[in-house]
Amino acid sequence: MKERVWIKDEGIERGAEALTPERIERTINAVLGNETGARLMAYVETCVHCGLCSEACHFYLSRDKDPSYAPVGKVKQTIWPMLKHKGKVSVEFMKQATQIAQTECNLCRRCVQYCPFGIDIAYMMSLVRRIVHKLELTPLYIQDTAHSHSATLNQMWVKDDEWIDALHWQEDEIREEIPNARIPLEKEGADIMYSVIGPEPKFRTQLIYQAAVIMNVAGLNWTMPATPGWDNSDMAMFTGDSEIMARLKRAHFETAARLRVKKIVMGECGHAFRSVYDTGNRVLGWRMPPIPVIHALEFYWDLLNEGRIKVAKQIEEPVTFHDPCNVVRGRGLHEKAREVVRAFCKNLVEMHPNREHNLCCAAGGGVINCGPPFKNARVESNSAKAEQLKATGVKLCIAPCHNCHGGLDDIIHKYGLDMELKFLGEIIYECMEKPEA
Amino acid sequence: MERIYILVSGPLAWIAWSVLILGSIYRLWQVFSLAKQKEQVLFSYISLKYALRSIINWSIPWNTTNMRLHPIFTGVAFLFHIGFFVILIFLSAHVIMIEEGFGLSWPTIPDALADVMAFLVVGACIFFGVRRIVRPEVAFVTDWTDFALLGLVAAPFLTGILAYHQWGDPLLMTILHMLSAEILLISIPFTRLVHMLFAPFTRGYIGSEFGMVRHVKDW
Amino acid sequence: MTPRRFSFLLGASFIVALSVLGAIPAWTQDTVLKTQAFGTLTRPVALFDHDTHNEKAGLDDCAICHHVYRNGKLVAGESSEDKACSDCHTLQGQGRQPGLRVAYHTACAGCHTTKAKGPLACGQCHRR
Repeated sequence: MKERVWIKDEGIERGAEALTPERIERTINAVLGNETGARLMAYVETCVHCGLCSEACHFYLSRDKDPSYAPVGKVKQTIWPMLKHKGKVSVEFMKQATQIAQTECNLCRRCVQYCPFGIDIAYMMSLVRRIVHKLELTPLYIQDTAHSHSATLNQMWVKDDEWIDALHWQEDEIREEIPNARIPLEKEGADIMYSVIGPEPKFRTQLIYQAAVIMNVAGLNWTMPATPGWDNSDMAMFTGDSEIMARLKRAHFETAARLRVKKIVMGECGHAFRSVYDTGNRVLGWRMPPIPVIHALEFYWDLLNEGRIKVAKQIEEPVTFHDPCNVVRGRGLHEKAREVVRAFCKNLVEMHPNREHNLCCAAGGGVINCGPPFKNARVESNSAKAEQLKATGVKLCIAPCHNCHGGLDDIIHKYGLDMELKFLGEIIYECMEKPEA
Repeated sequence: MERIYILVSGPLAWIAWSVLILGSIYRLWQVFSLAKQKEQVLFSYISLKYALRSIINWSIPWNTTNMRLHPIFTGVAFLFHIGFFVILIFLSAHVIMIEEGFGLSWPTIPDALADVMAFLVVGACIFFGVRRIVRPEVAFVTDWTDFALLGLVAAPFLTGILAYHQWGDPLLMTILHMLSAEILLISIPFTRLVHMLFAPFTRGYIGSEFGMVRHVKDW
Repeated sequence: MTPRRFSFLLGASFIVALSVLGAIPAWTQDTVLKTQAFGTLTRPVALFDHDTHNEKAGLDDCAICHHVYRNGKLVAGESSEDKACSDCHTLQGQGRQPGLRVAYHTACAGCHTTKAKGPLACGQCHRR
């Protein structure tokens, strides 16, 4: 069995040094007492400890069915003792709870689908993260990301002028290929505001390039903001920092409102979609997003079905498709995505299980963002995914999510899989008709 | 002994049923007023259509992905729950007591069938208990209270079987049967057996979230 | 003993044995309640030995069990031991008059409950 190692993380260690038993008790009771209610009570009292959620979890499956990695096992090591001892738990306990909730659960919600009572275990892990945040135990790397969000309203410390510069640079590049193409900035009254996550201008600028090509070819009335609020990502959501999450989403929605767009179209990112479509809007008091939010997968499907983009050639080699939790279990886009994939690829080989039952990449939920200290454990904890990928026998995997890309990339290297990863936008860019090019 | 029988079949039965009914009302009221007070937002995510869709799909044996992953457990769990309620409501001896006490009556199942079902319920409890010991993922989250709850549920069925077959003194067995059933009734609102009351709501809520917001199946 | 004689004795004892065995149901009739009216029974016949019961219970007044109701009212001083319970108490109750099973249960278990004596649980009367 792969032994669990309690990993030393500077953020956790430094936070723990400042803890006192009184502070732990006060904080736990403040969060559980003031910020929870009927849901937590019903979940904790309804759970009959049947363990049927276990096989939903890729951590459990990958770590030789170690019960301490089963979803209910994680609840047992976090929420139950906090409730039972009314917050009187040790510093050591809190450090371990931090590692469990923040790095050994991707909040992918697969277990929610496997629980006969529909108990939302991801919600309980989020509560633990909230407590961890208030105790300042959040792992160093993701906390740095949250700081970036707080200071710059984007994930990667991208400065305001760097952002605009990156867009101008990509516009220049595109015009080599499509002479009249544009990346319209600050165009009030456009139909679409296109938003991306911080890493795109930072080190995946080709994705902005490809998306802009698709927009131009499709002849859309679109724009990108030149002000903070352009970033739709949200690691604060995953550190339990609801206050910063609310600031981020507010900035994002207000930017769209200022530009008077009809809808926000998002790049291929899962967690950002979750934050804009599902979580952030709630924090701001909106039942559903105040402005329609369209994920790239749905957007591509719309373009294809409206005839705005056309297939010029198809990928000949067999491909497989990875269903990201936040747009599949979180938005049911699996069939639309497959229709687009099949339009551009001759042979789609399914992973098993797939669609809403797909196994997680083990990177999402802020886990990959906890950085190098946790990388080995994370990759070790997803051999199940590696086997799933390997069984397809294909060499090209489409993963329409940044976190999934990161997670799958690590797995592919660690387990020596001969597999290339692509975003769906890359495939479309390669294979669509570009009349003006 | 006769006086004990009169006590358990009369006043204690009234107490047990009252505690069950009032306790259940209290627990539901508690959870709803808590939601109203602190999580009012939950109500805006409830959709009757998707709640029912979820509840129905999880009420059909071997219908959900996880049930198919655990076919034997699923079979046992369904037999257990069906047996529990069918015997409780349709056993002739129970209906006769209701009829003679309140003048209400409804169709019953043959005693032979009830007998088989009672054995199945006790067998299921043993199965659940053994599973708690031999399956590591279940053992990890099991403590004595889990076995106590199983015992609490199994006891009325075991003593019911003994009383029906007249193994041991019928009067004593009947007293133990009624007493254990009364303890079970009283425990329902205040232990994890409360899932009997809460499950439709937890299921319905997550079904609504998955159906209405996330547009995806939750089974 | 000749073989012929032996076979006669054997046959005769067989017939005697059969008739003794056949007489058993007739003899047990007095120690259980009359159940013909029920048709098929779901539980074993309730044990009831009339004379032993009354002696034990100190019952002299037949009308305590063999009561007479007229227009829904108990008629004092009249008794109905000449009738079967099922003559009045049909299987299904009629208005306020209880059905046969309910009548039996109320008469027996009801009295036992009041007196806190005698069998109370199902299996005490319906012995297997």
